[in-house]
Amino acid sequence: MTPKNNIVIGIIVALVVVASYNVDANPIEFAEGLPNLAIVLEEMLLVEPKYIPTALWAMFETIQMAFIGTVVGTAIALPLSMLAARNLNSKYVYAPVRALLAAIRTFPSILWAILFVIMVGLGTFAGVLAIVMYTVGFVAKLQYESIEAIDSDPMDAVSSIGVSKWQLIRYVVIPESASHLLSQILYMFDYNVRQTSILGLVGAGGIGFYIINYIKFFEYGKAAVFMLVVLVTVLFIDWVSVKIRDKYIIKSQHGMEVTAK
Amino acid sequence: MKQIQMTQNPSFSLISTNKIIQMNNVWTSYDSKNFALEEINLSIDRGTNYAIVGQSGSGKSTLLKLMNGMMIPSSGTIKIDYVTPNMDNKKFKKMMHTIGYIPQSLGLVKNITVLENIMIGALPRLNKIQSMFKQFPENEIKEAKRIISLVGLTGKEERKAYMLSGGEKRRVAIARALMQKPTILLADEIVSELDHVTAREIMNLIAEAQKRMNLTAIMVHHDMQLALEYANRVAVIKEGHKILEIGVEGDTIVDFQTGDMNTDEIMEMYDDDSKK
Ligand SMILES: Nc1ncnc2c1ncn2[C@@H]1O[C@H](COP(=O)(O)OP(=O)(O)O)[C@@H](O)[C@H]1O
Ligand SMILES: [Mg+2]
Repeated sequence: MTPKNNIVIGIIVALVVVASYNVDANPIEFAEGLPNLAIVLEEMLLVEPKYIPTALWAMFETIQMAFIGTVVGTAIALPLSMLAARNLNSKYVYAPVRALLAAIRTFPSILWAILFVIMVGLGTFAGVLAIVMYTVGFVAKLQYESIEAIDSDPMDAVSSIGVSKWQLIRYVVIPESASHLLSQILYMFDYNVRQTSILGLVGAGGIGFYIINYIKFFEYGKAAVFMLVVLVTVLFIDWVSVKIRDKYIIKSQHGMEVTAK
Repeated sequence: MKQIQMTQNPSFSLISTNKIIQMNNVWTSYDSKNFALEEINLSIDRGTNYAIVGQSGSGKSTLLKLMNGMMIPSSGTIKIDYVTPNMDNKKFKKMMHTIGYIPQSLGLVKNITVLENIMIGALPRLNKIQSMFKQFPENEIKEAKRIISLVGLTGKEERKAYMLSGGEKRRVAIARALMQKPTILLADEIVSELDHVTAREIMNLIAEAQKRMNLTAIMVHHDMQLALEYANRVAVIKEGHKILEIGVEGDTIVDFQTGDMNTDEIMEMYDDDSKK
């Protein structure tokens, strides 16, 4: 290790210590708090199975919210991504669209949820809207990046025929970027199910609503049922999307991703 | 091997009424320092089978890109059918519909079928609905089928382009260009990487289409032998300069650019390029 590296590491450690002092992050308090965790865990072990049907139903509602949010969000994101791609538009088009998308992404979904609860009231609809916004910001970014990564050769060759912008999008941009889209949507859905699970914390529907309420009233055993259902569901969705990706997104000999028919 | 014979043949005079491509003192560069092409003068008659040869990096691809408006010269004038090539020029944009351009990389869309790739050549003739929903009109499908059989791809229409061999990909790119009903065909080293037999099959294909459609074909080659075999004019590019332009009439090769070239020099060039 060079002296320069030592200095850098020293500075980083010093910064962590200073920041910890500033935010009251105290390892001793953490150690002292461990017995509390043990109590919570112990109570959680008193799982109340009769709440399972309610938990499953709440989870089903959560999945539906995530599903609507993902589909509607993607539908809005796709045209925006076409406008945000540098290789398809002039600066005057892509710059404002990218700025808008960046602004949308600065809000975590929970903040969108608070905003929509204020707008449309408590409940699942506010949660759906929050997921839509979050999905628009992210899918559009992922998608304009994959549009910009399209090989310029077919783009140039087809443009040189003098086709319209719409035709270029239909015959080059969509087919050449669509192989990434399926895996992006799966990833987004997966992620949205997790996000939707906590939106209930701010009253925007979903299974998180139950979890936060039981925790508020120290009913850890009931909360545990709902948390377990979330855990199992998320693992299951993860597993399914890996399966789907393996089945439909094969690697061609060229080492590039292509969507199987 | 051809006999090379020096003559001052007046029939190769630069004055003609039917010039489809004209370049006048054209200079071009990618950066502000080096010129990729310098002082290029070209004049190509309608219906010519024109070849451009030269070593890699000599500026051949750049020359083609100037002809279809993908690049704008730093100075000098270019006229394609008396119109200045420029993608922002409405009149030229219309002409692009019938300029077939096959880049060195072919530019196929990998994830769509052979038929769809070929239909791209017909897109300027389709309306919005037809092209958005891939509702190709009967007559265009018929035309595509005809070209597909011409290039020998019958039965492979529904194959995705990424599944094709190198030779098949070239046939698709040629078919796409023919689908444009082109008046000019620009082809950039499309047979350079192929074996001897396949390369000639593809060259014959283009030569036939060229004769039948009175097409002006401008083909870049690495190999002088191939150029002499198929072209009626050959320009040799070296380090951004056109150093030689010869006419080929049967077995006779005529130098009409510089009267003072001698046979030895042409042979030297020939050897240089065929060795590369
Ligand atoms: N996109 C580019 N950017 C910068 N320089 C380029 C680019 N394309 C080609 N050149 C340069 O221009 C010169 C001519 O290139 P090119 O026309 O591709 O030659 P050829 O087709 O004969 O191999 C070369 O020196 C090459 O390095
Ligand atoms: Mg080249």
